[in-house]
Amino acid sequence: MHNRRTLPFFSYRVSTILLVFIAFILFFSIFSPEQRFLSSRNLAILAKLSPDLGIVTLAVGMLMICGEFDLSIGSIISYTAYTFVFLVQMGVNLFIIPFIVLCVGVLLGLLNGLITVKGKIPSFITTLGTMMLWRGILLGQSGGYPQPLRRYLPAESSSFVDAFSGTIGPVPVQIVWFTIFGLILLMLLHLHKFGNWVFATGNNKEGARAMGINTDMTKIICFAIVGLLSAFVATSQTVRIGESYPLQGQFYELKAIAASVVGGTSLFGGIGSMPGIILGALIIQILENGLVLMGVPAIGVQAFIGAVTISFVILNLYAERRRIKIA
Amino acid sequence: MSEEKVGRRGYVKTAAAGIIGLGVGAGIGWAAKPVPPKVAKPAEGMYFRLCTQGEAGDVFFSVVERGMKDACEELGCGADFDLSGGDISPQVKALEAAIAMKADGIAVVITDDHAFDKPIEDGIKAGVNIIAFDTDDSEGAEGNARLAWVGQDFRAAGRMVGRRVADLALERGWDLSRAHLVMPVEVPGIPYGELRALGIRDVFEKYGTTSEILDCGGADLTVIESRESSYLLAHPETKIMIGLGSVVTGRIMDSMKAAGVSPEDLITSGFDVTPSSLEAIKAGYLQTLVDAQQYLEGYYAISVLYLMKKYNFRTNVDTGAFLIDKSNIGMFEEGMEKGVR
Repeated sequence: MHNRRTLPFFSYRVSTILLVFIAFILFFSIFSPEQRFLSSRNLAILAKLSPDLGIVTLAVGMLMICGEFDLSIGSIISYTAYTFVFLVQMGVNLFIIPFIVLCVGVLLGLLNGLITVKGKIPSFITTLGTMMLWRGILLGQSGGYPQPLRRYLPAESSSFVDAFSGTIGPVPVQIVWFTIFGLILLMLLHLHKFGNWVFATGNNKEGARAMGINTDMTKIICFAIVGLLSAFVATSQTVRIGESYPLQGQFYELKAIAASVVGGTSLFGGIGSMPGIILGALIIQILENGLVLMGVPAIGVQAFIGAVTISFVILNLYAERRRIKIA
Repeated sequence: MSEEKVGRRGYVKTAAAGIIGLGVGAGIGWAAKPVPPKVAKPAEGMYFRLCTQGEAGDVFFSVVERGMKDACEELGCGADFDLSGGDISPQVKALEAAIAMKADGIAVVITDDHAFDKPIEDGIKAGVNIIAFDTDDSEGAEGNARLAWVGQDFRAAGRMVGRRVADLALERGWDLSRAHLVMPVEVPGIPYGELRALGIRDVFEKYGTTSEILDCGGADLTVIESRESSYLLAHPETKIMIGLGSVVTGRIMDSMKAAGVSPEDLITSGFDVTPSSLEAIKAGYLQTLVDAQQYLEGYYAISVLYLMKKYNFRTNVDTGAFLIDKSNIGMFEEGMEKGVR
C-alpha cells in the first residue's frame, strides 16, 4: 500500500501533473492574444465557473479511489436543483432550504451506495439505473419546463444569494467554496484514518476486510459525499443562474471522471490523491477556457480535451511503471 | 267524533298529501334534468404518434407535447410522443414501430435528408398517413414522400431575426462591414441551428459581416456561459450575438456581464423562450427574441393528421415565428406560466 501522507505532495505522479498544470498556465498566458488569459476578467470567469465541475470532481475522485463510479451525478444535480426551486416557490424559509436540499442529495447518494454494496451490483450499473430514475422522476414532476427562481426570492434574500454567487472583494465566492471543500476532503483523505480505509478498500477490498476495515460502510460514505457535493453544486448553480433546468448537470459524471483521471486517479481504484484531483479539475477548465481565448475553433475544443485526457492516462501509467521500477 | 269532523279531517289529510306529493314531484322533476345524449368527440378511437429527436428534459419539446395533448383532449384521440435523445437511429426505430402499430397517423421530425426516406415511403405504402413536423426534408416534398409538413420555417425565422438585428445595428450607426457576428449553438450541426444560421447569414452576407458558429459543448449552463464569455473576451470585435437555441440564448446576459460587455456594445438576440431569456429582455441585455410557437407544432400536427385520416385533406401549416421584445413581453410571461410558450 502507498504511503499516503508523503505521497500526495511529493509523489512522482502529482508532481508531474503539477508541472503540466504550470506549463498550461504559462502557455496560455504567453500565447493568448493580448495575454487575455491573465486578465482580471478571465481569471474571474475561471474562478466563478470552474468550481461547479471542480467541487463534484473532488467527491467523484474520492469515490474512484475507493473503487467505484457514479454515473448519476448529473441527475442528482438536476433533481436537487428542482427541489431547491420548488421549496422556494412553496415559501419555505430560505435559510433552511439548502440543508433540506443537501439532505436530499445525501439520501440519493446513500441509496446508490446501499444498492451497490448490499445488492452486490456493480456501481456502474446501479448508478446508470438511478441516473435514468431521478431524471425521469424530475421530468414527470416538472413537465420538462425550466423553473424560474428569482421572482420567488423574498426581498431580503440578498445575503443568501451572495453566499452562493457573490464575491469577497474581487474573488468570486464559488472559488472560496471550492477551496473549502478541497481542504476538507484533502484532510479527510490524507490525514484521517477514513482516508486509509478509502485507499485500502479501493486497492484490495478483501485484504482491507481482513484488516478489519468495514469496506461496505466506507463505500456508502463515499457515495453519500458525492450526493452531498452534487446537491451543493445544484444549489450554487441554481442561485447563480436564477432557474433550474431539466438538463442541468448533463454529462458532469463523465467530465468529473475525466478530470479525476487527468489528476492521476486510477480507474481501477486504490490510486490517486486530492491534490491531483484538484489539479485535474483545474486543468480541464483551463484547457477549455484557454483554447477558446486562443481563437481555436470551439468545435475543436472537445476533440482536444479528449486527446488530452487519453494522453494523461498514458502519462500516468508510464509514471506509475517508472515509480515501481525505481522502488 | 261526528261524521262531519271525520270527513273534514280526511279532506285536509288528502289535500295535504296531494300538496306534498305535488311538491315532491316538482322537486324530482326539477332535479332530474334530462341527460343530454353523450356526444362522441370527433377523433375518438384514433391514435397518433409524434416521433421526435428531442431529449428528455428539452424545454422546447415539452411545449410541443403540451400542444399535442391539448389537441388530443379537444378531439378525443390518443397520442404518444417519442424522444430519441438526439440520435437518428432510435428515432427511425420509433417511426418503424409506430408504422408497424398501424397508427392512424404519424408526425416525424425529419432530422436527416436520407435516413427517413425509405421508412416514410414504406409506411405510406402500407396505408399509414405520415407527415413531417418541426424540421422538414431540406428539399421538402421533392426530397421525401411525407404527405404534409407542419412547422416553422427555420431559415425564414433566421432571416426575420437577422433583419431585425441588422436594422437595430444600422439605427446605431454601425458599419456592418466591420462587424463580427457570433451564433452560439448547443450542438454544432443540429438541423434547427444550421437552418437558422443560414437565414441569419442570408441577411448579413450582403453587408460583408463576418460570422462564426460557436460550439457551446452541449446543454450544460455553466459550460455554455464559460464558452460564450471566453469567446467575447477573445473576440472584442464581436458586435452581434444571436443564440441559435433556447439554452445558449438564455445564458447570453450572464456571459455578457462576466465578459464585461455592455448592451451598448453588443446587439443580441436568439431563439426560443426561457425564463432566463425573458429576464434578459427586461434587463436590456437581449434586444429581441424569436418565439418558435412550438405549441402550434404539436397542436396542428394532431389536427392535420386527424383531418387527413377522416377526410384525406393534405395541407402544410406554417406555425410562423413571433418576435418578442420589451413591448410585448408580458403576454409571453403569461404563456410560459401556462406552459404554452
